[in-house]
Amino acid sequence: VQPLRIALAQVAPRLGDLESNLARHHELLGQARDGGAGLVVFPELGLTGYQLQDLAAEVAMRLDDPRLSRLASATTGLSAVVSFVEESGDHRLFIAAALLEDGEVRHVHRKLYLPTYGLFDERRFFSPGDVLRAVPSRLGVGVGLGICEDFWHVSTPQILALDGAQVLVNVSSSPGRDLAMSSEVGLGTASSWRTLMRTYAQLTTSFVVFCNRVGVDESISFWGGSEVIGPGGGSVFSAPMFDEGLFLVDVDLADVRRERIALPLLRDERPELVSREWRRLIAERAGLAPDSTAEEGAEDGLDVAAGAAPGRPIGFRGAGGGSSAPAGPAGPPERAAPAKARPKAGAA
Amino acid sequence: VTRATPAIPVGADGTPLFELPAELAIDTDVARRVIGGFVRGQLRQAGWERAVVGLSGGIDSALVAYLVAEAIGPERLRCVLMPYSSSSPASRADAETVVADLGCASEVVEISPMVDGFFGTGEVAGAAGPEGLAASPLRRGNFAARMRMAVLYDRSVTWGGLVVGTGNKTESLIGYTTLFGDSACAFNPIGDLYKSQVRQVAAAIGVPEQVIRKAPSADLWPGQTDEAEAGFSYPELDRLLFWRIDKRRSVEEVVALGFDAALVERVDRMVATSEFKRQVPPIAKLGPRTAGVDYLYPRRRPGSARG
Repeated sequence: VQPLRIALAQVAPRLGDLESNLARHHELLGQARDGGAGLVVFPELGLTGYQLQDLAAEVAMRLDDPRLSRLASATTGLSAVVSFVEESGDHRLFIAAALLEDGEVRHVHRKLYLPTYGLFDERRFFSPGDVLRAVPSRLGVGVGLGICEDFWHVSTPQILALDGAQVLVNVSSSPGRDLAMSSEVGLGTASSWRTLMRTYAQLTTSFVVFCNRVGVDESISFWGGSEVIGPGGGSVFSAPMFDEGLFLVDVDLADVRRERIALPLLRDERPELVSREWRRLIAERAGLAPDSTAEEGAEDGLDVAAGAAPGRPIGFRGAGGGSSAPAGPAGPPERAAPAKARPKAGAA
Repeated sequence: VTRATPAIPVGADGTPLFELPAELAIDTDVARRVIGGFVRGQLRQAGWERAVVGLSGGIDSALVAYLVAEAIGPERLRCVLMPYSSSSPASRADAETVVADLGCASEVVEISPMVDGFFGTGEVAGAAGPEGLAASPLRRGNFAARMRMAVLYDRSVTWGGLVVGTGNKTESLIGYTTLFGDSACAFNPIGDLYKSQVRQVAAAIGVPEQVIRKAPSADLWPGQTDEAEAGFSYPELDRLLFWRIDKRRSVEEVVALGFDAALVERVDRMVATSEFKRQVPPIAKLGPRTAGVDYLYPRRRPGSARG
């Protein structure tokens, strides 16, 4: 039995108010410690609030910021995941989550996928991270960190699990939306997240710790509903939606071993196969190799062949092999013959 | 897991209070929860504790009053009734019923002198000059809406409360609002709810039955109703907007769903021509940082709260 008490800090950060959020983190770390927690998880941008826009640069911290060091020093005998705006030495801004352990910054994860669609505008203000690593932890198992949208890309939890994580931690600021009676819990966003977290836990045979904030930034209400999912895909604990609180959850990390012995999915993963096929896809999408699913006659890198559309699309060569014969405004469009041979990029 | 659509609420006589298209059904508990947190968050972040709501006697403003009272307590809410001389007495009675039920502060401000002072009355010209005597109902309606806005923003100061918006998503999308009139507010808790969804939340929170049942009206002239004026029913309009906008269905696709092609075209045009009413006016870009363009701050941030 490897018991672990996890504290989910489902907080409502104050937007742009780093000092007050830092104080709240210190306070909750103390409460979690008093409650016997071994791992304390705070939500995405719990130190700054989410809808920062141009405030992002004003609340950013470098990894050598003394405020971060002080927070780390409050983790003696504890593991904690906190999230903030990180400024790199070359002044890029990242949405970061740090694993703090025994007084140190043990690991920093920079958000990989920055949603910039719908109500999201993250790429405008932030730079995406380029590194995805699991990290050994004082808990005795590997830990993998992801931030919100990172877990809407199936490769993230898979890579973390293959890299040695047995506890996957996702910290989020998920805006509640899609109010609908047809959803499991009345909110489309919450239903989707619940489905995803259970699926990842089962497919990676790992614990999934999901910590989502509550409160309001501008128009957006964050729905909470933080969860701990066991390696069999079943919920160990679900926090209430919308309520602020520090929730303590007991798990047995030995469940991971039992699940992986019974269901050796990770053993049977084929990273070399995945890697090979991805390399092929990358080459095809870059136009460096023929694409087996493209239309016949399509240039490499383009999946649709030039048709009988009016005018000659830029970049398509005609039957004349690259001679430019612009169709005059009055002249009929010439149909480009499908190129049988696939010229390499740059060949004329 | 798909939950069964709940039965439509029924009134005292056992008949349904309203027609509810299935795709517009929402979980009213979750809606109230989100809206309550939203109202409290908006006030706290702005450094205010009280709210002002203009109460017409209709379902939208009644629902907002109930939601605000639920969120912050009726003692922090002031409802302002602002009838014009031709306003329906029934509307005022309904508004008074809401106030009595909530136990919140209220007052009546007659806007007739303000409107008549501009357009004139009988044969006596007002500030607008003789031409104003022949002003159309549209001009008068818009002017009345802006006078109500002016009253609410004055009461915002005297009561010390933020003005809470009462416009719903349906009327906003088709542009059935007066710019800087009824659409003016500090924040709006129901602006993302279609009329059919307003009705669901209203029934759940306890808005009086007669307010839920009566035909929606801008009450600009006696007997006016939204649906007669616009030529379609709210359930039909809500469904069409839901499929076109929320669910991104094309014109062809909604026609295939059974909507009349002429109606679809007409509603599309209403939505497009009212786009300006839903946005902040553009500022000519000249300097290096321009509000709303490349100067992008949250409305509420450290230091922005009053006091």
